[in-house]
Formats: sequence, structure tokens, C-alpha cells
Amino acid sequence: MTPVGGPSGRRKRLGGSVGERAMLLALAAAAIISILVTVGIVVVLVGEGATFFTEVPLKEFFTGTEWFPVEGKYGVLPLLNASIVIALIAAVVAVPLGLGSAIYLSEYAPERLRRVVKPVLEVLAGMPTIVLGFFALDAVTPALQNIIPGLGLYNALAAGIVVGLLITPLISSLSEDSMRAVPNAMREGAFGLGATRRVVSLKVVVPAALSGIVASIVLALSRAIGETMAVTLAAGTVPNLSWNPLEGMQTITAYIVQVSKGEASRGSLQYESIFAVGLLLFVVTLAINIIAVRIVRKYRTVYQ
Amino acid sequence: MTTLEAPGTPPPPPAAATRPLARKRSRPSEQLFKWLVMGLTAITIAMLIWLISSVVIKGAGSLSWAFLADRPSSNPDKAGFNSALRGSVVLMLITIFFAWPIGVAAALYLEKFATQSAEASERKVRERLGSGVSGVHAGWLRVRLWWLRVRPRVVHLVDVNISNLAAVPSIIYGLLGLAIFVGILGISKSLLAGGLTLAVLILPIIIIAAREALRAVPISIEQGAMALGATRWQAVRSQVFPAALPGILTGTILAMSRAIGETAPLIVVGGIVFGTAVPSLNPLDAGNEALFAMPLQIYFWTDQPQASFQAIAAAGIIVLLATLLVMNLVAIILRNRYSKRW
Repeated sequence: MTPVGGPSGRRKRLGGSVGERAMLLALAAAAIISILVTVGIVVVLVGEGATFFTEVPLKEFFTGTEWFPVEGKYGVLPLLNASIVIALIAAVVAVPLGLGSAIYLSEYAPERLRRVVKPVLEVLAGMPTIVLGFFALDAVTPALQNIIPGLGLYNALAAGIVVGLLITPLISSLSEDSMRAVPNAMREGAFGLGATRRVVSLKVVVPAALSGIVASIVLALSRAIGETMAVTLAAGTVPNLSWNPLEGMQTITAYIVQVSKGEASRGSLQYESIFAVGLLLFVVTLAINIIAVRIVRKYRTVYQ
Repeated sequence: MTTLEAPGTPPPPPAAATRPLARKRSRPSEQLFKWLVMGLTAITIAMLIWLISSVVIKGAGSLSWAFLADRPSSNPDKAGFNSALRGSVVLMLITIFFAWPIGVAAALYLEKFATQSAEASERKVRERLGSGVSGVHAGWLRVRLWWLRVRPRVVHLVDVNISNLAAVPSIIYGLLGLAIFVGILGISKSLLAGGLTLAVLILPIIIIAAREALRAVPISIEQGAMALGATRWQAVRSQVFPAALPGILTGTILAMSRAIGETAPLIVVGGIVFGTAVPSLNPLDAGNEALFAMPLQIYFWTDQPQASFQAIAAAGIIVLLATLLVMNLVAIILRNRYSKRW
């Protein structure tokens, strides 16, 4: 194809030379690759998962209370339960810490202090999770054992606490952003009516920023459920259907790691089982993320 | 915020005139609440300090040049971090080689070309279709017309997709790498397979960061170039892209610092290596080298029951954290030094 319109600059701008079109095509192809990644994830998980589910019925998978691959028992409830228990412990730790920090940084801290504290908190979010796992095993569990005698080396509590630490900055950072987006006029109006700073924080700023705060907590939960190394090291590798945080339990992610370490041969039922539980994990985290986006979209108030 | 500093923050010196209006002392509940939120912030920071100090105390004794230079060993006193360090270097080279060009190209397209109005081009293509072209040429023009029409929807899909990808748990990328790179492409469980997996993992992060950097360059730069006769591509290539480069590099380094600490996807792709090999630093050999990496080695040591392995695991963590610190410092310097205020 000949370049449209020859050397005239104005016409060239509309179509561009062949070289430029090829360049654009390459750029567009790069953008499409990101969709291929998603397609790849879905195809791989569904494809390998489907093979798994031809051998293990869906009903057994979702209602079975025992996960014992060696004996062919594939009831996912213990794994799912462990992931949820640890995510909930993490939330119990992270919500007060994260919201407290967010309120302090947004409403109380002087600007100079805020500029130092915020990046320091974000160091926690960038901490490799293997480091948090080491910290749980090496420091948190021994400290807990001093308080709770008889606590085993592997327990959900220590895992939940370190995962909580990991997601605290996520909550504090996103919540603080939405609190700071609340216009000052609203604060000043409340101050003008005689409200104290505590009342302004809790009754004006937090409600006004609620969509962002809730979304940050939901996103943090999704991160907690997908967390791997800290829970593998701290909560152990024994599937255990229990709500007792003092016991060890194996999460979905920890199971995937355990099988991957053991070199399950390709094509075996165990190999396929990690894709099946991976699919479950993917669906759960995706659902949580979609909920978070919905919350923001539905309840967000835009202030001028 | 400036108008707000008065009520509450560090007790303002009571000016005589306002005194009757202002409460001289806060109520106890006010103070209590302030201490509560301050305390919660302090606890978070204290936990971070506890984490770092416990690792440093445990690992500092094992840290030495020999530790950095020695190969792995089943004897904790002789075991070194060299293979892990080399593995991580090669992994990062492979990751950047694949993720950077694709990520930046995608960002350029999404930010600078995909959102351009299609009206003018569409009109033009229609005109030429009407002017009696035939055969392959007409087919090609129809494809272009179709693309111009679906483009906004595709771009929206890519947008949503990228933000969702950034939230997918990293272990899922491991499963993807295991099935595609190891399973279908038949790459052995090697540094190459690991590097490719990490490249896919950080691709959305690089795209997001590069888009932000491109967005920060004012539109007037591009318009100025185009007013002088440059095509959009020329304007973007020679003006916008160089201006955004420091921001893109900063984002890239931060994405790399995410990749270098990832453990789970590497375990899924490559398993845990017990060997004592020392991988070559040449990325072209990566397809044959066993998967070594700093976080993998740390995990392997942490998982051992003997206490002496815990100490070298802590030493390994110190090295990993120091690497992260350096990467982040470089990113900050790059941002402060080259970022322009427009």
C-alpha cells in the first residue's frame, strides 16, 4: 500500500506512513497480549481443572470435609476454610491498625510527620512475603507461645497476624487517600457547628469516605486470601477443618506450594488438583475484587 | 489543609481574644481518641521495627563475604548464597527483557493512540472504499473500518483486564507458567521458565506505571510537535516518550523490586532445588540452569528444622532486603533528579 497523500504533512498525519502503521500495529499487539494473559490463565485453570473434575465429582469437591490426596479424598472445605480463617484473623489485625493509621495520618498528623510515616508504612506492603513467613516462624510464634502455653509451632494465629501486617498498609493507604479527598468545607462546617476533631473524624470524614474505606478492606481481604509464603511457613501443611486459630491448618495456596515442591508428575491427579484449587482461588479473589469495584462505583460520592 | 490546622493539632497557644470561644482543655474522650489513633499507627511501625530487628539480630552473625561467594551446601556452616544471588540476577535480566518492551509498548498504545478519535480516519477509509478499490485492498480497508469501530470496546476491555490482572494472586501466575512454559512450550524447570513467569507477573504493573508516567507529560508537548508538522507517532517518539522515560524507569524498578521478592510462583514453576550448582550469569544459558533465586533459597533454609539454617536464612533475608533498599533508593533518586515540573 502506498503512503496516503505523499509528502504533504497534513495528509500524512491522518494515515501515517507504512512504517508508522506497522509500529502502531506492534503497539496494539502489545496491548492485546495483556488480554492473552488473562485468557491464558482462564484456559489453563479451567482446562486442567476440568480433567480433575472428570475424576473427582464437583459435589465431592465442594462438600467433602477431608482433603487427603494420597487416599484420593478431595474435599476442598478444609483448605478453603483455612484460607478464610487466616484472612479473617488478618482482617481483625489489619482493620483497626489500618483505619487508625489512616485517621491519624489524614486528620491528626502534621504534614511533615505524615510525609515520613506513610512511606514507612508502605515498606510493609512491599515486604517479600517470604520475609513475613520467616518473621512469623522465628519471632511471632515464639512470642505467642510465651502468652499461650501449648501453642504449636504451626498455627493459624501467627500466620493471620503477619498477613494482617502485610495488608495493613493497603487499608491505611487507600483509606487515607479517600479521607483526604473529603473536601475541607465539610470539616469546617462541622467545626463551625462546634464539633470536636474526634466527632469530625468519626461522624463526618469517615462516613463521607466510607466507599473508599470499605473497598480498601475488601481488596485487602482478597490479597490475604491469595497470600502464600507466610501462610505456608507459619500455618503448616496439614489440612484441618477447624475454626480454632491456635491449630495448624493448610490453606489453598499452601497446598499448591506443597504439591509443587514434591514434583507431582504431570498428568497425575495430584498435579491436576493444584489447578482445580487454583481455579477456586482465582474465582474467589476475582469475585472479591469485583465486589470492591462495585462498592466504589455504587456508593462513591464525588465532591467538588 | 492550611485553614484546618487550628482546632486540635498540637495544642494551639490560646490567643487572648479567642479564649472565651475555645475550650481551654480538650475533653478526655478527645484526648483518648487522639492517643488511640496515634497508638495504632505506632503499633504498626513498631511491628515493622520488630520484624527488621529480629531478622538483623539473627542473621548479622552469618553475614560475610564467604556467605555471598559460597555455593549452597547441606552443611549450614559452609552454605552460601552465591547461587541464589546469581539466579536472581539472571531472573531479573530475563524478566526485564520480556516485560519492559511489551509493557511500555502497551502503555504507549493505550495512553497515546487508542483513545484518539476515530472519526477522521473512519471518514477517510470510507471515502477510499467508495472510490472503487477492490480485492485485497478493499478487504484490508474493511478490516480497518471494523477495527476502528470495535476499538473503543477492546480498549475498555484491556483497561479493566489490566487492573484485574494486577490483583490476581501471584501463585496463579505460577500455575500459568507451569502449564504454558513448562507444559506446552516444553521449557525445562529452569531460570528461563521462572524469568518468563515473573515477566508475565509484572507486565500489568509496568503497563500501569508507564501509563501514569505518560499521562504526566502535558498534552501541549505533543500538540506543539504536531503543530510543527510531526505525525502523532513522531511527536510521541521524540517528545513525549523521552519526557516520560524517568517516570517509566522509576515504575519499572519498583515492578522489579516486586519480582525479585516473589517466591510462590517460582516454587510452582520450578520446585525447590536441592543441588549445589552455581548457575551461569549468561542469560542465554538460562534454559539449562536450575531455578535458583534469593527468596527460594531463603524458603528452603527456613523450612529446615536445624537452628543454624535459620540463621543463614536470616542472613539471606538481610541481603534480599538490602537489594530492595538499593533498588528503591535508585527509583527515588531517579524520580527526584529527572522528574520535571511542567
